[in-house]
Amino acid sequence: MKEKLEQILKEAQKEIEACNDVKRLDEIRVKFLGKQGELTSILRNMKEVPPEERKTVGMLANGVREKLEEALSKKGEKLEEEALLKAMESEKIDITMPSKGVKRGALHPLTRFNNKFMDICVEMGFTVIQGPEIDTDYYNFEALNVPKNHPARDMQDSLYITDNILLRTQTSNMQVHAMEELKPPFKIVCPGRVYRNDDDSSHSPIFNQFEALVVDENVGLKDLMKMIDVILKKLFGENVKMRVRPAYFPFTEPSIEIDATCQMCQGKGCSLCKGTGFSEVFGAGVVNPKVLEMSGIDSKKYSGFAFGPGIDRSVMVTNKIPNIKYLFRNDMRFLKQLR
Amino acid sequence: MKISYNWLKDFVDINISPEELAEKLTVSGFEVEEVIYQNEHLHDVYVGKITKIEKHKDADKLQVCTVDVGDKTVQIITSATNVFEGALVPVSLEGADLCNGVKIKPTNFRGVKSDGMFCSGEELGIDENYIEGGGVNGILILPDDMKIGAKIEDALLLNDVVFDVNVTPNRPDCNSVIGIAREVSAIYDLPMKDVDYSYETCGDDVNKYISVEVKTQKCPRYMASYVKDLNLTRSPLWLRSRLFACGIKPINKIVDITNYVLVEQGQPMHAFEYNHLAGKKIIVRDAKKGEKIAVLNGNTYELDENDMVIADSEKPVVIAGVIGGVNSCVEPSTKETVFECAVFDLKSVRLTSRKIGVSTDSSMRYSKGVYVDTPINALKRALHLVCQLNAGKIVDGIIDKCSAKTSKVRSFKASMSKIDKILGVKIERNRVLQILNSLGIKATLSGDSLQVEPPYYREDIECENDIAEELIRIYGYDVYNNLEGEAFENSSVTVGAYEPRLVFENNLKNELVDFGFYETLNYSLYSSTACEKLLINDERKNVIKIANPISEELSTVRTVMAHALLLDIKFNLSVGNKDLRFFEVGRVYQPKALPLTELPVENNRLSIAVCEDGYDFFMLKNVVENLLVTTSLKYKLERSTEPYLHSGVSADIIAEDGKKVGYFGKIHPKVLKNYDISHDVYYAELDTDYLSNLKEKAYSVKEVSKFAEVERDIAVVVDEEITNGELTSAIKSACGKLFAGAELFDVYRNASLGENKKSLAYKIHLLNEEKTMTAEEINAVINKVLKSLEFRYKAKLRA
Repeated sequence: MKEKLEQILKEAQKEIEACNDVKRLDEIRVKFLGKQGELTSILRNMKEVPPEERKTVGMLANGVREKLEEALSKKGEKLEEEALLKAMESEKIDITMPSKGVKRGALHPLTRFNNKFMDICVEMGFTVIQGPEIDTDYYNFEALNVPKNHPARDMQDSLYITDNILLRTQTSNMQVHAMEELKPPFKIVCPGRVYRNDDDSSHSPIFNQFEALVVDENVGLKDLMKMIDVILKKLFGENVKMRVRPAYFPFTEPSIEIDATCQMCQGKGCSLCKGTGFSEVFGAGVVNPKVLEMSGIDSKKYSGFAFGPGIDRSVMVTNKIPNIKYLFRNDMRFLKQLR
Repeated sequence: MKISYNWLKDFVDINISPEELAEKLTVSGFEVEEVIYQNEHLHDVYVGKITKIEKHKDADKLQVCTVDVGDKTVQIITSATNVFEGALVPVSLEGADLCNGVKIKPTNFRGVKSDGMFCSGEELGIDENYIEGGGVNGILILPDDMKIGAKIEDALLLNDVVFDVNVTPNRPDCNSVIGIAREVSAIYDLPMKDVDYSYETCGDDVNKYISVEVKTQKCPRYMASYVKDLNLTRSPLWLRSRLFACGIKPINKIVDITNYVLVEQGQPMHAFEYNHLAGKKIIVRDAKKGEKIAVLNGNTYELDENDMVIADSEKPVVIAGVIGGVNSCVEPSTKETVFECAVFDLKSVRLTSRKIGVSTDSSMRYSKGVYVDTPINALKRALHLVCQLNAGKIVDGIIDKCSAKTSKVRSFKASMSKIDKILGVKIERNRVLQILNSLGIKATLSGDSLQVEPPYYREDIECENDIAEELIRIYGYDVYNNLEGEAFENSSVTVGAYEPRLVFENNLKNELVDFGFYETLNYSLYSSTACEKLLINDERKNVIKIANPISEELSTVRTVMAHALLLDIKFNLSVGNKDLRFFEVGRVYQPKALPLTELPVENNRLSIAVCEDGYDFFMLKNVVENLLVTTSLKYKLERSTEPYLHSGVSADIIAEDGKKVGYFGKIHPKVLKNYDISHDVYYAELDTDYLSNLKEKAYSVKEVSKFAEVERDIAVVVDEEITNGELTSAIKSACGKLFAGAELFDVYRNASLGENKKSLAYKIHLLNEEKTMTAEEINAVINKVLKSLEFRYKAKLRA
């Protein structure tokens, strides 16, 4: 009996070993462990075993059964795993085929730059507001210390609607609106369109600026310089270099122009920066006390500073756009490159 | 503004390279846009003397010249016919790189070597005005007194360096050599040298020859002097060289002197032909309406009362401050002249110059400002030059009609601590005083109080801010590079934020990008025909016109967004781009009345345009719905009244208050034709001002039911006119409390349904919050729905 059991075990193990499909494995199970199975028959015939051996044979038979069950289940798992792998292999696809569904579009590079810049300003405590693009001569010029016939008007060719109403030539009109409407201390930044009577290969009649204005007690040039240093680093990276030149704007005194490492050539010198390695990014200055007073702010108590650049050029250099006219052309061949 | 390096040296002893000076001027407020080296193309060109001329043995037209160039003798072959033995000529030798692009190297002409080339005036960049013979079509024959072997740039005084300086409008005093020299003197703390203002007269009395009458408020000072026995030959080379460097054409001694003084002192002058001044009178007056004058640029201008003229007793002879008349200018035959040295009102000159479109060196300076104190020195300097150049005899006396106060002393007190505050950096007090004094600003300090007296030519200095600027630009902005601390250390903390509309618009933009749209940027100016092309016949037709437009295409301010996007689509299709999904966030500008008496309403809008195969109304509707779903807007759709949309395939979005806050649909076929677009275009627009002003959407979430929804499909046949909206709301009301949604999932049309019929299939969702519904209950509801649809819309259940 013992030999027979061992023989069954051996035979079954051999068959399990050789089996390589799930169906056959089930047949093996039935053959040995099924109701009519070989092992089952032995167990069923236990009464034929002499009583003194029954215990030993019983244990032996159960041991064989356990071993067989384990071997069957192991093999079963293995075969299932193999079958799955095979099935997946047959489902293999070409992963280089195009994706499905809507392809993302793109924001205009100007919006992207503006958002980045405005986020920096908001973080520094500025409120972003917008105002009228069609404005009176007073807000665009006079209240900014540019009376009629002032030579500074030559710096900007205006597009007029009536003698007194024009398309703003600068976002600086927002300085005046802000000073009239807000109580110091405040920090505002106003992005928007400006208009000039100027249309050639390097100028658009419409372009984008923003104007930032801080009015508070105890602010001056140092705050301006330190702040711009931070802004430039956040915009163009830690390695950006800054250069300051005195300048003239009627509404600020002192006035400066700020150049930063040319982002087109990273300071190596190119046609855009005329080989200097620097390009102009901001005009800035301490608010002229006359301007504060005209808008009803006590210049003895409060001071302020303002800065405002044209941003189209920065958009150009940061995106390496070869021609400023691309910005308004809306050619998909241009826009698609900016996804 | 062109400034000569050599000329500056008349006023300041500078021992600084032109590059360094240019850099310094730039960082102290006078941006040097270009540094021009006059001798850039003159190296390896020398004064040579032709010692022998022989015929070339194999070429009739060539001559072989032996030329002494000082340290050696060279052989030059020339075809020029104006050379002769003994002539001094410019000789370019190997290495020369002439201004017309010719590079010189030794050449063989039929077996005979030529070491270089003789030069014409043109090849040296000069002309007949600069030197006699400079304009001939041949070789420039140099004056006999030039040194053989000298560099041509030295011999012809073409060795200057010219700075193109950008002088800002607040510094009219620096539209002159003397002004820039004062700056250089301050930057380097070098003393200003005196130039010679002395002159000799021949006695007699100016008043015997000329009288001046000023009849206008717009001429605060008019000075005149009289010079006779004129010698109107060429000015000496040094003077021509100065003018030439600054881009001014040398003419004759008298005209050159007026130009010299203009450039050096910043004071425009004029010289009259005395004998053409009728009545020996100069009258400064406002022009008469319709008065005409022919001037030196060849044109005749008609003036009016706003212009100012210099007249004699009969006629206008000069448009004051702008340009001289042909009837009184100095001519080669002129023997006597009157010099004018005057101050005219900035605004008047400016307006006249703009109106007639004439800008001269004079008008440029007058429109920026000339000081009442300037003419005296300027006139003296001119008379000094008359003596120096032996240009004529000066009659005693100067006429000076001055209605303004001269030598005005203006002084004020400034607070030093306020200046420190403006700068945020404290400059040592000794340095403060030194900088101000070097700028000609008298300054004394007692305690915090700085007593300041600016010179007459610094009217721009009025308060602490102005002084702060003067200090820091000379002290140097570099000081901030190494300064400790941060921004806003001594000021308030403010909290940053975005205007709500900007946040809203940015969200829309990002959503649209996710939907595959590209953001465009268009001009907000367009052609006056835009509304016509869009079939618009409402108030948007009232566009604001630009008074001085750049072109017709940019002549009006937009009242509609669609025009630009349709042009974008047209353009993109024309270059072969396909699948166009565009959006733009921008403004339209609607006047309240025309012509504008008050500012227009500026309305911010989002516009969307799609031109893509397979796109349809419902895809666009989906985009619009998704954009609106996060707002609190409650709206209904109505058939659109937009004239440029297809009347059957478009909808207006109407808010609860009745306001139309947007619309979307297919572009009207006629409009497509007007824009020459042959594909369907879908277009949508939203009023972002209105939408961003809505209160934030409030959410109130109900408990989720324990019971599952059940679904039943029905299909009904109805007349074409019946809308989905009608059927859906009927289904909803029939279901009552059990209604949990109804989706249209199929529309079917077939002749078998009958004429003008369609079949609509709905999936109806039902939910009983209290219990699981039985089949009987569900069937009862569906039967109620079908009855209701039949009753209201004659809907038949589709078999």
